[in-house]
Amino acid sequence: MVKESGQLYTIEGVAAALILLMTAYFVFNTTSVYTSGDTHISDMQMEVLGSDALKMMNTAANSTDMKSPLQYIVEREDGETFRNLFLNYTNNRTDSRSDPIHFTANYTYRMELAGKENQTVMRPLSYSRNLSVGEHPVRVTQWVVIEKQIGSNAVHNRAVLVEVLMWRD
Amino acid sequence: MTAESANMSIDFLIGFTIFMMAFIWVSAMIPGILVGLQSNTIDYDAVAYRTGVILMEDPGWPRSPGWESFEDERKADIVRFGLAVSSDTPNLLSGDKVERFFNVSTTNPDIGFVYPEEYQSRVIFGDRPYHFNISLRDVEKERFLAVGEAIPNSHGYIRRLGKIKGASNASLGSTYYTAHKYYNNGFDYDNVTTHEFAFEVNRNLLSTEIKDPNYQIDPTRDMLIMNLTQLRSTLKSEKAVGANISAITVYAKTSVGTARLGDMLQTDYPYVDGNASRIDNLPFPVSDNVSFVFRPKEQFFANYMSGFPELLVNVTFTLDTPAPYLNTSKSGPFVYNYHPDNVTQPHLRDAVMEVAVW
Repeated sequence: MVKESGQLYTIEGVAAALILLMTAYFVFNTTSVYTSGDTHISDMQMEVLGSDALKMMNTAANSTDMKSPLQYIVEREDGETFRNLFLNYTNNRTDSRSDPIHFTANYTYRMELAGKENQTVMRPLSYSRNLSVGEHPVRVTQWVVIEKQIGSNAVHNRAVLVEVLMWRD
Repeated sequence: MTAESANMSIDFLIGFTIFMMAFIWVSAMIPGILVGLQSNTIDYDAVAYRTGVILMEDPGWPRSPGWESFEDERKADIVRFGLAVSSDTPNLLSGDKVERFFNVSTTNPDIGFVYPEEYQSRVIFGDRPYHFNISLRDVEKERFLAVGEAIPNSHGYIRRLGKIKGASNASLGSTYYTAHKYYNNGFDYDNVTTHEFAFEVNRNLLSTEIKDPNYQIDPTRDMLIMNLTQLRSTLKSEKAVGANISAITVYAKTSVGTARLGDMLQTDYPYVDGNASRIDNLPFPVSDNVSFVFRPKEQFFANYMSGFPELLVNVTFTLDTPAPYLNTSKSGPFVYNYHPDNVTQPHLRDAVMEVAVW
């Protein structure tokens, strides 16, 4: 004889299962899962700041200055001046608080080689400290026209791309 | 015999179906209630970013004449704030616009802007009544300007960097007068009582010699200052001689010659001998200094240069005793240009702006 205790009739069972499933789905769906995509706002803020800083460094103070500070820095590969100037700009706030931003910078250019294919060369420029594993940097760039001899090429105006990776502690 | 176990009536099926449909519908609506609470935080950062872009990269509207010149009853005609010199010069701010924007007034709404309503509709936008705080620091002059409330812990935020464009100015003194022979007859000190000094502002010249808008002098948009100092050094007389500014006339240089446009308006009169306010009538006694300050919001050059891009401002000095004096009749007018010996060029100084929205 089939016992009648502990029985769940078919339709009731299906209904109960559906309710359980829907409850579980609803519970999990309303929780927030933090992913890397949620940092896009802070990334955007830092990217705008870095882009502005490079733009200001690439603007001379007046028309009598022959070149902008960034042009001089890249031509002379003056990493110390770049570091001081960039951190000064990015740490500038309207009040006295500072912003713990770090960076590493390099510049890239095309080098013409006689009889060979042109090369893209990247040279380090400056850094505040090395980028560690797990830190999430943003990249900002600025085209700069410099007058410099590269390799055996003659001195002439050339465009180089200054790239900066920046991040916060 | 038909079994009676595991049967389900039609009534139950229909009731259960209706119940499940209602339950599913309600469950689907619940996440929508939570979405409304979460979106504000994301929205604050977006609004702050948009406000920062509008202020740093847009010149505002109206542009010509600029919104910063609107006072009193015309303040209502301002559609949008913007601090940039022009749409071609993002991150380059106009000093006049910065001063005007941060002129927050609670006592005289005809001149200052009232927080928050007059800012909300012109820079924040949107239907939601956001609270905000916009601050700007002029790094070189160590000035701090702000509008808005104290910032709470949770808010949207953006920080922008830019440069404020300073005014150009020409300051002439005895060394310059001697070097350029700004006397009646050079070194021949003939005595007359009427002397004329003229300076020329040529918009065509200024717009072609330097094309970079960061450094270009545009008389219709930038402040120009013309200082005449050490005037007594030009007297070359042993006797005490009194001098007056008797007339200031504006001329246009055209292809067929010079055309008289009229006398300078009283509102554009210069400052004399370091006084804090402009002179209000002519003739006016002058001792040693005359300073012409042309602010964009006063529209002096804009009003004339729409038809005549080359202007001459002629200052007539009258002495009570015949004597030599500052005079460009022989040498030709002083030309306001980009030569650093003549004009101190516009200087760009660093600025930081922060926008907080909640």
